[in-house]
Amino acid sequence: MDRKKLTLIALATAGVLTLADLVIAFFVAAPVISNMSLDIAGVNIGGKLFANPILFSQKIFYFHVPVAITSFVVFFFTAFYGVKFLMTRDRVFDTKARIATEVTLIFTLLTMLTGDLWTRVEWNTWWVWEPRLTTYLIMLLLVIGYFVLRASVEDEEKRAVYASAFGILAFLDAPISFAITRLVPSSQHPVILRLGGGLDAWQLTAFLLGMFGMLCFGYVIYQLRYREERVRERIEVLKATLED
Amino acid sequence: MATSPQPAESNSWRQFKAILRKDIVMELRTFEMLTSMILYTVLTLVIYQIALSQSGSGFDVRLIAAGLLWLAFVFTSMLGLNRSLVHEKDQGCLEALLLSPVDRPVIFFAKAVGNLIFLLIVQVITMPLFFVMFLANRPLGGAWWMIPLSLLVGAIGIAGVGTLLATISVNTRGRDFILAVLFVPIMYPLLLAAVGATSAAVLGGTGYVTEFWRDLALAGGYDAIMLLAAYGLYEFVIGA
Repeated sequence: MDRKKLTLIALATAGVLTLADLVIAFFVAAPVISNMSLDIAGVNIGGKLFANPILFSQKIFYFHVPVAITSFVVFFFTAFYGVKFLMTRDRVFDTKARIATEVTLIFTLLTMLTGDLWTRVEWNTWWVWEPRLTTYLIMLLLVIGYFVLRASVEDEEKRAVYASAFGILAFLDAPISFAITRLVPSSQHPVILRLGGGLDAWQLTAFLLGMFGMLCFGYVIYQLRYREERVRERIEVLKATLED
Repeated sequence: MATSPQPAESNSWRQFKAILRKDIVMELRTFEMLTSMILYTVLTLVIYQIALSQSGSGFDVRLIAAGLLWLAFVFTSMLGLNRSLVHEKDQGCLEALLLSPVDRPVIFFAKAVGNLIFLLIVQVITMPLFFVMFLANRPLGGAWWMIPLSLLVGAIGIAGVGTLLATISVNTRGRDFILAVLFVPIMYPLLLAAVGATSAAVLGGTGYVTEFWRDLALAGGYDAIMLLAAYGLYEFVIGA
């Protein structure tokens, strides 16, 4: 009962924070101005030539980055519950790890989608083998691999052990590929846009609101899925006892 | 064991040697794994020839040589890793190993070292072939010993983590397909660093020595972290 209330509160908080994030991001936070005039004469926006164009596409930052960070945070729980399962052999932790991975999949896909929108506008391309994009593709493949693995093991005990082991390995792998794609540079694609000099107060506020809102959303999705799964398991048990 | 003929040797070391010897003896009887791995690599080289057939004589193969070399080894190592555990599984050898009083980590290290040895044999045989076929008239940019060194560091990670992943995948329905799905994304950081190191050695140029050692250190770091993790997880995986 208590968990139920907490989930509802988290859902409301997530909604309010994310809404506030978007309102502040679009109406209050100062826009980011590109210094593109150094490289080219100007940019044509809506038929007018701008020397220092305002990057409206940058607004996706307030949504995209919280989603991306949340995906990493949730992925941590895949490994965390994986370790707990291997230590206790309690099937509950396997279910928790699986649902954490499901939530990771959602957030990783959202990160890829929102990132791609930005890439298309800003870099004028759908895909580049740039460190950030590459890392996320690898993470997506790891998460997909986790589910492919689960689907191909019939024995439940084995499935849980293998999934836990792979989940732990995958979570270790994600930060390594994050680091290595930066340290082994592919010289063709430098990082094109950086936010110079940090965020101002309103930008930071919007970002932090979005960050906490997205974490709450992650928690809510996780809890709802978990409850659904628990009910389903209980029905299975009841069915089994009725058949006997 | 009090009656042991070599009391100086520790128990685990003898177990390690016994499992390793079993793998090597089994391979020497049939040469099944080595033949298929080497043949597969040669076939991959033929496919490279097809892929490069339209590139013309002006194309400098050295630019992609490291990538091609590693691609061949990635494919052949997946084949080999799968084979090495399918044998164990299908002939019930794995169960027997688990029934015998052998420490689980010993099984991991013996299997991983066995896979490493086979992979290195394949590399030693096919690497000169690659150079003769694709880089015959092109001078090497860096020192020659850097290439085998980078191949060795990469092979250690492939054999170590690959042994864990193959132990998992051999118990699934899709076997070799599952191995590929798990293997490629997990190996991504190692392969990127290894290709970087090999490429620096092939191409040379200014600052290639620093580049080589940096990439090699990254690959070595990956090896250390992932081998520790694989070693820790193997006990659970093989017991499942």
